[in-house]
This record gives sequence, structure tokens and C-alpha cells, in this order.
Amino acid sequence: MTTKKRSTGLTAVCDAWQLVDIDVTASYPIRPYTAVMAEVAKRIANGQMKCEMVYAEGEHGQFSIAHGASMAGARATTGSSGVGLTYAAELYSPIAGGRCPIQVLVGDRTLDPPGDFGSEHTDCLTMRDNGWIFGWAQDAQEALDNSLMCFRIGEDPDIMLPQIVAMDGYFVTHITQDYEVPDQDLVDRFLPPFKPKFRLDVNNPVIMGPQITPEMGPPLEWDRNVVMQRAKGKIVEVTEEFGRLFGRHYAPFVEEYMTEGAEMVFLLQGAHAVTCKSAVKYLREAGYPVGMLRLRWVRPFPEEALQAIAAKFKVIGVIDTGTSYGAAGGGGVLLVETRASISETPDKPIVQGFTSGLGGEVITHDEFFRMAEMMRKTLEAGQLVQSSTWVNFNDYV
Amino acid sequence: MAKSYPEVPFAAIVPCPTVENDKMVTGNWRSLRPVVDMETCTFCKTCWLLCPDASVVSDDEAEEISFNLKYCKGCGICSSVCPVDAIRRVPELDFTD
Repeated sequence: MTTKKRSTGLTAVCDAWQLVDIDVTASYPIRPYTAVMAEVAKRIANGQMKCEMVYAEGEHGQFSIAHGASMAGARATTGSSGVGLTYAAELYSPIAGGRCPIQVLVGDRTLDPPGDFGSEHTDCLTMRDNGWIFGWAQDAQEALDNSLMCFRIGEDPDIMLPQIVAMDGYFVTHITQDYEVPDQDLVDRFLPPFKPKFRLDVNNPVIMGPQITPEMGPPLEWDRNVVMQRAKGKIVEVTEEFGRLFGRHYAPFVEEYMTEGAEMVFLLQGAHAVTCKSAVKYLREAGYPVGMLRLRWVRPFPEEALQAIAAKFKVIGVIDTGTSYGAAGGGGVLLVETRASISETPDKPIVQGFTSGLGGEVITHDEFFRMAEMMRKTLEAGQLVQSSTWVNFNDYV
Repeated sequence: MAKSYPEVPFAAIVPCPTVENDKMVTGNWRSLRPVVDMETCTFCKTCWLLCPDASVVSDDEAEEISFNLKYCKGCGICSSVCPVDAIRRVPELDFTD
């Protein structure tokens, strides 16, 4: 029986971890991630979950423990936020290159300084290029669903890559929301037991991560590149199957909202999409031909999905809730990747950047309205008025 | 003509070698070579136990130790743990081989 529940995004992911019966989780407190470790500990104490919970001495230790557990054949998870994710930096490439499909929960958080625990996407976007599959959930339900889908995609024998289930700190991790916890039987049908290709086994010893000769490096990296590209097909397949089985139908890569007849669209990811949709409704009533695109994944980046729809629009306003200081275009990672994705597309729209929602701030309706007005100016001018706008700092309306 | 690369194992995972890996000889990093004086050595095998690279070879019948110089990196742990100071560290340039 599907259970209706009212709780937070972190509890929702804990529900997913309970359903998939994780074997090992490694913990170290940092807000907002901390709540999930408290939730797992509580469930172990209550006898609801049976898994080995290892308290690490820091995030580098957390990732190492999950890495080792995965090599031993366990379905392993961990999680963190903000500077915790960057403290674990060494481990991202070995885990992906070792093809260990661990799952990391990220309640994202602004990087220091200052000690700000509000949401910002910079923390795990900084770690984006190592071969991890990841994207942002917009609410608790999607966080739970993404966790289930990520296990299925990442543990697929054709993929075997680690995943990050990311969500906006506070907005998704800590705000109480309604969501459904799916039936155990359905989850068991959706996700088979984890079968590693190799595991640490004293009877059949193997070396994982041995010293190699230089000429073995390029083909191993080619493999990782190929499998990351292959993951796109797997995402489509698994998202469709998830919809059939659980009745929640997600766009595999890009959710479109009120794009019918839209000449300009916001493009963003994560929880701010909820406010954005509400703002788009008002803007439509006020006569702005605006819609919204929401990315479900940032790695692999959905360039084909964007190319397929880009020509429908005249202006795309990419909203980065994160920073990439000195990046081309003056915005963040999403602006760079969006421009790169459609750079060779015929009749491509004008792509302008907005940076907003930093430091855990809400992107308000008023700010969406102003961004829409700036996009309208671009539409009228038929060319970029300003490559990138930091909302409230260098607005041109 | 594109260069062709060797077939690589999944995630570089390989069976544990049961013999020496001739393709990855690492003893050439060594600058100081361990030399044991068997007159002083009591064959306690502390060095054999603690060598991090399994490069101390123990001949249990002859009760003698020696070093596998193909892999010994000259870290000197054997010399510092030897309770009777039977292992000296000699600069590689003092040897002809």
C-alpha cells in the first residue's frame, strides 16, 4: 500500500533508503545533511532499518567508507552539504573510476565564507566533472523518487556509476511537505538486489585501483566517458519504467511548464522552480509570453533534450543558483552549459544569464517578474542586452 | 593512423598477482639499498614482517634473509626496526649493478 506522509525531503530520502534496504551508510554531521543521519540512526534503533551505520571522522572518511563498502559488495550511501562535499574532493574520481555505484545525498549549502547554511548549488556543482550522475529534486516527493531512480540507473550493469541525489538545503531538506511512500513490493520489482561486478573477496582476491602504466589511462577514461553518455539512454528508460510502475511521470531530462506559445523561458533546476511556476502563471496573465524549463539532471547534461526544444523559443533566461567566478558569460555553470549545448543549433534562441537565490535566499515573485521584464527587453532588442545579470546588483530594468 | 590502446579491464580491476608484476618494477626509485650482515642477524624476521612492500625475502631453511631489489624502494623501515642493527643502508652509487 502506498502510504501518504507529511515530512521533509531528508526524511523522504531516508524512506527510499529504507525501501531499498541499504547495507551501509557513513555519516558525519553538517547542516542540513545532519537530519538524515539522525533519521537513519533513529530507524536503526527502532528496528525499522537494518544497516551498518559508520560514524566517520569527517567527509573524506565518509566517502572512503562508502567507497570501501561498495567494493565489498554493499549497497552503500552517504551524504553531506556545502564544505563537507568539498572536503571529500579526493574521493569523487576514485569512486566513479572504480565504478562503485554509491549514492550520496546532498542537501546543498553555500560554501564558506561566511558560515551560511542556506541553499546554493555551488557545492556539488564544483564536483561535477568526475563521472557522477546527478540532478536536483524540486520537492520531497521528487527527492524520494530520484533516490530510487538513481539506485536503479547507477547500479545497472551497463552503467555502474555513483550518483548524487541533490536538493536545495532548507527548501527541500527541511520544509514539511506531503509525499507518498511507495509500496515495498513495487520497489522490489523496480530495483533488483545490487550485484557488483567484482567485490573484495578473500577467496577470489582482486586489486582495485592498482598502479597502471600510462597507456592504460586513456582507455580507462574513455570507458568512463562512454558510460556517462550511455547513462542518458538509461535515464530515459528508467524514468519511463518508473512512471509506469509508480504512476508519477517525470520528464526524463527537461520539464516544460507553460511553454506552449512561450517566446521566452526561464531555465533552472531545483526548488526555486516551484516559485517560478507560480510567477509564470501571473506573468502569463499579465501578457508576458513566458514559460519555464526545469533541468532534472546536470550530469549527464541534457544537451540533446535542450537542442530538440531550443528553437521553439526566442530567449532563454538561465537562472544559476550558484557561482562560477570568472566563467565565460559572467554567470554560473548552467549558463555556460546551456550556451554550449545549443551553440550549433539552427535558429537558436538568445541565452542570457541570471544569478539569483544565492546564500539561501528565496527567489521572490518580484524577482522573477523583473527577470521576465529583462528577458522582454532582450526579446524586443533581438540581441543580448546584458550577458549575465546578478539580480538586485546590475539589473537593467 | 590512430594509435591503438591496450584492452583494459573494467575499472582497472585485476586479479591479485600471485607472481611478480614485471611490467611495474618499482625498485628503481631506491637511493639507499639495505644490506644485511648475517653474522649479526638473529633471524627474528621483524624486518620481513614490517616491510610495507613484501620485499624482504626469508629463507626459512637456511635461516637467512635477503632483499628483493626489484621492488625494494629503500624506505629503510627494515633497518630502523632491526633490534640488533644488522641492516645498513648503503648508497646505490656504491654498487656496480
